[in-house]
Amino acid sequence: MTKEEKYILEIRNLSKIFDADTEKEKEVLKNVNLKVDRNEFLCMLGPSGCGKTTLLRCIAGFESYDGSVLVNGTERPRPGTDRIMVFQDFNQLFPWKTVEKNIQYPLKLQGIRDKAELKQRTREVLSKVKLSGHEKYYPYQLSGGMKQRVAIAKALALRPEIILMDEPFAALDAMTRNELQGELLRISMEEKCTFIFITHNIQEAIVLGTRILVLAEGGRIVVDEKNTIKRPVTPASEGYGETWERLHSALY
Amino acid sequence: MKKKILALATCICLAVSLAGCGGKEESRETSGGQEESADKEAATLNIAYQYGVAYAPLSIVKEQGLIEKAYEEAAGKKVTVTWNQMSSGADINTGISAGSIDAGFMGAAPAITGVTKGVGYKIFTNLSGQEHGLMTNDENIQSFEDLIGSSNQIALVNIGSIQHIMLAMALENAGYDPHALDANIVAMAHPDGMAALESGNASCHLTSNPYIFKERQEENLHEIMDVTNAWGIDDTFIVGVASETMHDNDPELYQALCGAIEEAVDFINGNPEEAAKITCEFDGNSEEEELEYIQKSKYSIETSHLFELASFMARTDFIETAPESYEDLVFDNVSGD
Amino acid sequence: MDEKKRKIHAFAARAIFIIALLLIWEYVARSGMMGEKSELIFPSLEAIGDAFIRNFIQGYAGISLWVYIGNSMRLLLEGLLIGILLAFLLSGLSMVSQTFYDICNLVISVFDLLPGVALLPVVIIIFGVKPGVIVFLVVHAVLWPMSRNVLDGFLAVPKIYVEAGMNMGLKGASLLWGVYFPAATSYIVSGLKVGWARAWRGLLSAEMIFGVASCPGIGLFINQMRTNMNNAEMYATLVVIIIIGLVVQYGVLSPIENCTVKKWGMSK
Repeated sequence: MTKEEKYILEIRNLSKIFDADTEKEKEVLKNVNLKVDRNEFLCMLGPSGCGKTTLLRCIAGFESYDGSVLVNGTERPRPGTDRIMVFQDFNQLFPWKTVEKNIQYPLKLQGIRDKAELKQRTREVLSKVKLSGHEKYYPYQLSGGMKQRVAIAKALALRPEIILMDEPFAALDAMTRNELQGELLRISMEEKCTFIFITHNIQEAIVLGTRILVLAEGGRIVVDEKNTIKRPVTPASEGYGETWERLHSALY
Repeated sequence: MKKKILALATCICLAVSLAGCGGKEESRETSGGQEESADKEAATLNIAYQYGVAYAPLSIVKEQGLIEKAYEEAAGKKVTVTWNQMSSGADINTGISAGSIDAGFMGAAPAITGVTKGVGYKIFTNLSGQEHGLMTNDENIQSFEDLIGSSNQIALVNIGSIQHIMLAMALENAGYDPHALDANIVAMAHPDGMAALESGNASCHLTSNPYIFKERQEENLHEIMDVTNAWGIDDTFIVGVASETMHDNDPELYQALCGAIEEAVDFINGNPEEAAKITCEFDGNSEEEELEYIQKSKYSIETSHLFELASFMARTDFIETAPESYEDLVFDNVSGD
Repeated sequence: MDEKKRKIHAFAARAIFIIALLLIWEYVARSGMMGEKSELIFPSLEAIGDAFIRNFIQGYAGISLWVYIGNSMRLLLEGLLIGILLAFLLSGLSMVSQTFYDICNLVISVFDLLPGVALLPVVIIIFGVKPGVIVFLVVHAVLWPMSRNVLDGFLAVPKIYVEAGMNMGLKGASLLWGVYFPAATSYIVSGLKVGWARAWRGLLSAEMIFGVASCPGIGLFINQMRTNMNNAEMYATLVVIIIIGLVVQYGVLSPIENCTVKKWGMSK
């Protein structure tokens, strides 16, 4: 924390091979290089199997890999609370803990023992995701969208450098999805935090991202552009159509 | 509500039908039963016995078909004898009271319990006497004095077993409370007790033939003679019991059973070598071992100190009801005391 | 309201079933169909009821059944506690070390097959002749099924919980404690159910063949009643055993289930 590097995240020559030295050997990521600016909202688009999830998991430290991932200038090969992952699966909250405890547990692990502070942080993040008053609920009592909100709140409470999101809204119905996109956009503009967001959905990438990447097989970056459309973005925004077309043709 | 009534009705129907089936079977057994089958078909005899050299004469009876022969001579009819090996006198008692066993062989203690409880049998023969003894692995234990009030453990086969009663008798003979060592007892099977004694996990083991002979050969073990003297080889150990129903309804079969046991006991006493050849297979010993154990047993059809044993058991609360006389315990043909 | 109706229905069905069973018993006992000596081996409910009271007042050898129950429960609790802790330890270590897992898996499969009573001679030689032998047999009865369940539970923990935990900085023992244990609760609870039943039966059968007279238990009591042909007392003791079993089921295990997996919406 003492020294602030220019890039919050730097990926150098990252390669990942599944089932090495077997018949099924597959090189999912080939020599990926990527630099991410502080407070960027980076959206990654890509067809299935292009390695975008694997790349995210490498950043999170869930996978072993060749090359290096530098967070704020230091190598981070293992999982840590500076990079919090929000999964697509609704069942990422611990079912044996209430909403409140789900949020507070990682904070306690970070050494925050003060009850008042724990309470205060919980209140704060829950109000950010518009779930105030749901502290005492168990996860099974919540809808899918609410669970994803709690997962985002849990990530925010930890105040990480980077929040990694792997299609967190993909399994939601269209209405809830739109709603949550709006919330996330608002949060991302308020928070001093970097987001890396994987999606299949071009509209979602344009709405949320300040920078959009399109990945092809092997994690090859085919498009890397700043999203200059004025926020909040709607399909009627100027430049939306062209951007959509451009990304679509890069994707398919 | 309807459903509930239906369920209740079903249950009751089930109960009644079950009971009905049982009832029919029962009536057939008691009304027709013994006489009818004795007249027309071959008679049957269900015998329960246990395992070991103390039961050796039974192997002879079984192998040589002595009951079948004696019955055919006496009644001119065939009898089918079924031998059931059971694991305790208590099981045999249950079998006889349920009517599925006609005659059984067991320790004197459970037999006395059965007779006084009114299971519906009496003792029809003595079978064998055995040597028993209390062995210890502790130099410092020489008499009961060293055991009473100590934490030394005495392994024996079961609480309330004949070995337990012997211990109580020996204690009384020596002038102590017969139950003075009850808290020191650890109940386990003979071989387990022997292992516990030899490994030093229990300091005493009260056991019988053949384990007592094996333990007497060990140099580091010695015997506390009180028990040995309290109930010896001449005293009744294993007896045969026969249901009163069988005794009353088929005297010829009863006589055949008694005669067969007597013949086998005579045979084993007269020709121990030959008997050992026959019985060793049943007992799982080598012929030499079997002969040794047979020679160290006493086979007799006369009881010894049986009534004394029963009186002692009643006096020391091993049984609830005391028999009034020797005749309460045995059928008329049995001799001894 | 529906829930309440269902409960009443379940209660009524059970009550009717039990009453019917008792009626059948009483009919059989009174009809004399079990032979002349029916009262001796198939006592009437009244005789069993009397014996039930007698067991607690007079008991056997001047000791009330309470004392036998107390001794048994003490040994049982000791054995259960040790067994459960060992099961957690074994399964925990298995999750940390692959080698340990491989060995543990084999050990569980092998030992689970061995009836405790068959181990008695070996146990006596190793542990000596003391109530500890019974504790050992209880541990043996509970440890293997419990370990199997806990281990299965650990293996079935969704990867996402593990990754979420790792993301929070949990690793090794803290991951085991913070994620694996709570996530495997439903398996652990069903392991407890199986383990308890096995331990209870194991205890009784061990006590029936290995009895320390200075610390007599229920198994020994039953055996004594059987030896003395006091069948009414024996059946009355079986009733006591059933009651204790039900008390543990509904008084201990069900509440545990209610305030864990049921409360968390995790029951299978």
